[in-house]
Amino acid sequence: MKLYQLVVKDIMRRKKRVLYASLGVVIGITTIIAVLTIALAGQTNIYGQLEKYGANLMVMPAISDIDIGLGGLSLGTLSVGENYISEDKLPEIRQIADGKIREALGIEDEGNIVTIAPKLYVNTKINGTSVIVVGIAPQEERLVKTWWKVSQGKYLEAPDEALVGAVAAELLKLNVGDAITLNVGEATITGILEETGSNEDYQIFVPLETVQKAFDKEGLVSSIDIRALCNACPTSDIASAINENMAGVRAIAVKQIAETEMGMLDKVSRFLFALAAITLAVGCFGVVNTMTTSVHERIKDIGIMKAVGASRNQVMKIFFYEAIIIGVAGGLLGYVTGTLLAYIVGPLIFGGVAISYAPQYFLPSLALATLIAVIASVYPAFRASRIKVADSFRSL
Amino acid sequence: MLEVKNVSKVYGEGTAKVVALNNISLLVNEGDFIAVMGPSGSGKSTLLNIIGGLDHISSGEVILDGKRIDGLDENALVDVRRGKIAYVFQQYHLIPSLTALENVLLPLTFCGANNGSQKALAILKRVGLEKRAEHKPSQLSGGEQQRVAIARALVNDPSLILADEPTGNMDRKTGKEILALFGQLNREGRSIVMVTHDPEIAGYAGEVVVLQDGQIVDKISQKGGNKC
Repeated sequence: MKLYQLVVKDIMRRKKRVLYASLGVVIGITTIIAVLTIALAGQTNIYGQLEKYGANLMVMPAISDIDIGLGGLSLGTLSVGENYISEDKLPEIRQIADGKIREALGIEDEGNIVTIAPKLYVNTKINGTSVIVVGIAPQEERLVKTWWKVSQGKYLEAPDEALVGAVAAELLKLNVGDAITLNVGEATITGILEETGSNEDYQIFVPLETVQKAFDKEGLVSSIDIRALCNACPTSDIASAINENMAGVRAIAVKQIAETEMGMLDKVSRFLFALAAITLAVGCFGVVNTMTTSVHERIKDIGIMKAVGASRNQVMKIFFYEAIIIGVAGGLLGYVTGTLLAYIVGPLIFGGVAISYAPQYFLPSLALATLIAVIASVYPAFRASRIKVADSFRSL
Repeated sequence: MLEVKNVSKVYGEGTAKVVALNNISLLVNEGDFIAVMGPSGSGKSTLLNIIGGLDHISSGEVILDGKRIDGLDENALVDVRRGKIAYVFQQYHLIPSLTALENVLLPLTFCGANNGSQKALAILKRVGLEKRAEHKPSQLSGGEQQRVAIARALVNDPSLILADEPTGNMDRKTGKEILALFGQLNREGRSIVMVTHDPEIAGYAGEVVVLQDGQIVDKISQKGGNKC
């Protein structure tokens, strides 16, 4: 029988006690694993969005929102500036975007590189319900909206055709073949989009010129989507070049938004992580406490062991082995409960983010839990090793 | 082999001062069976603890095989406990979570011996408990528990066994069996120092030392002791 076997045998007969001792570690590791798993899921979510939209930029009219208020009372905001961009600006935008990509990737070819998809938003009433109609360049839009799928009918081609978002079709009871009135114009529905989960579901898409004519907005667009050649393309550079060189418009790269989101996520994660670390520290004191109690309860046993030949080091070792077992048990439990907690709490924090368990945190959580348990046992083990045989029997 | 020279032991200080041993001298030779008698509080157990290095002395010398063991540090005392001297206590002092066999194995475990199971089993057999090897102390009778404790004391093959009222918690019959066991061990050449307050038990010993108020008041040599 080796010393560790002695400890294992002893512990197997005191399972509840060990579980109780490891509770502090379990709580600490649970919070840390939950925070890490949720943060990882949030990160994965943003990376996923980047993957999907990372090549995109958006150009909007340069509108400033000014807060209107009296004293400390806010009365709302006022938009200042043009609401539309002139179509004349499209070639200049293309020139800047293509130029930046040529520069970055060393492309000599003179042809068009980026896809530019202008669109015009108008608010109108169809069948008595207010709805947003979007004028689009059909071919370009298709290239930008790589995630679009037509669930019924076909994609729009001709100027008098319309494509309806999934929710709009349902709300307005529109079917393929129905005719809709657009102010002074008219269009026939040729297709219905599959649900995308974004506000596109509530919109109706019609070719740009048709909308411009019907609503008397010739030569005007509301915003421009730009899709660069690749995810690695310098979309942020393109955005800043457009912002520098063109008046009346504002360009934003999806990457920049993702970076901002990532920064926020990072801050939140760090805050949560700090809380988790505090929890772990508190848990550590819990272990100190239970270990000290354990030493106290076993003064007689320790005295016996010393009387039959245990050295101070061996007594300390017994408590350290016990700490290792407590740590491993605590780490294991903490990992499992932390992951479960992430599954429950994660979607509440990052609305609907899919949590997946993180096996890469398994071994580190065991190691951390063991380290904490061992550190927490240093003082109790030292105390145990100092117990004098004669005293331990006298105290009975 | 063991000599206690002018040893005193004082507990506490000032008005709470208690003199447990007062200038005691005692010689234990190889093969001796010494009974230490005396009323409660006369210092019997303290004397035993001091002989075994379980407690520190206030003054005097304790010499084991020509070497002083009083004042040795913990680590050096561990060597003494692991080899020459073993204890048997009145309350058996077995570890409740371990089986009889594991309790007997304990001293070997602390010595770093890996495979003592055979040896431990053989010793359990010797004290008549081979069938109880896997029982926990709580499943054993007092006499059986004391046999386990004796087996544990024997596993390191000590030359001196210190026993503190080993039959104190037992009925007469069981006590006699235990004493018979001690008699056997003595005949093998092991020295035994046994604390007791029962004159009949003391009759088994070759020498009886009577303590009172921390002092030796009588020493009786009994030729023909160890009558079992």
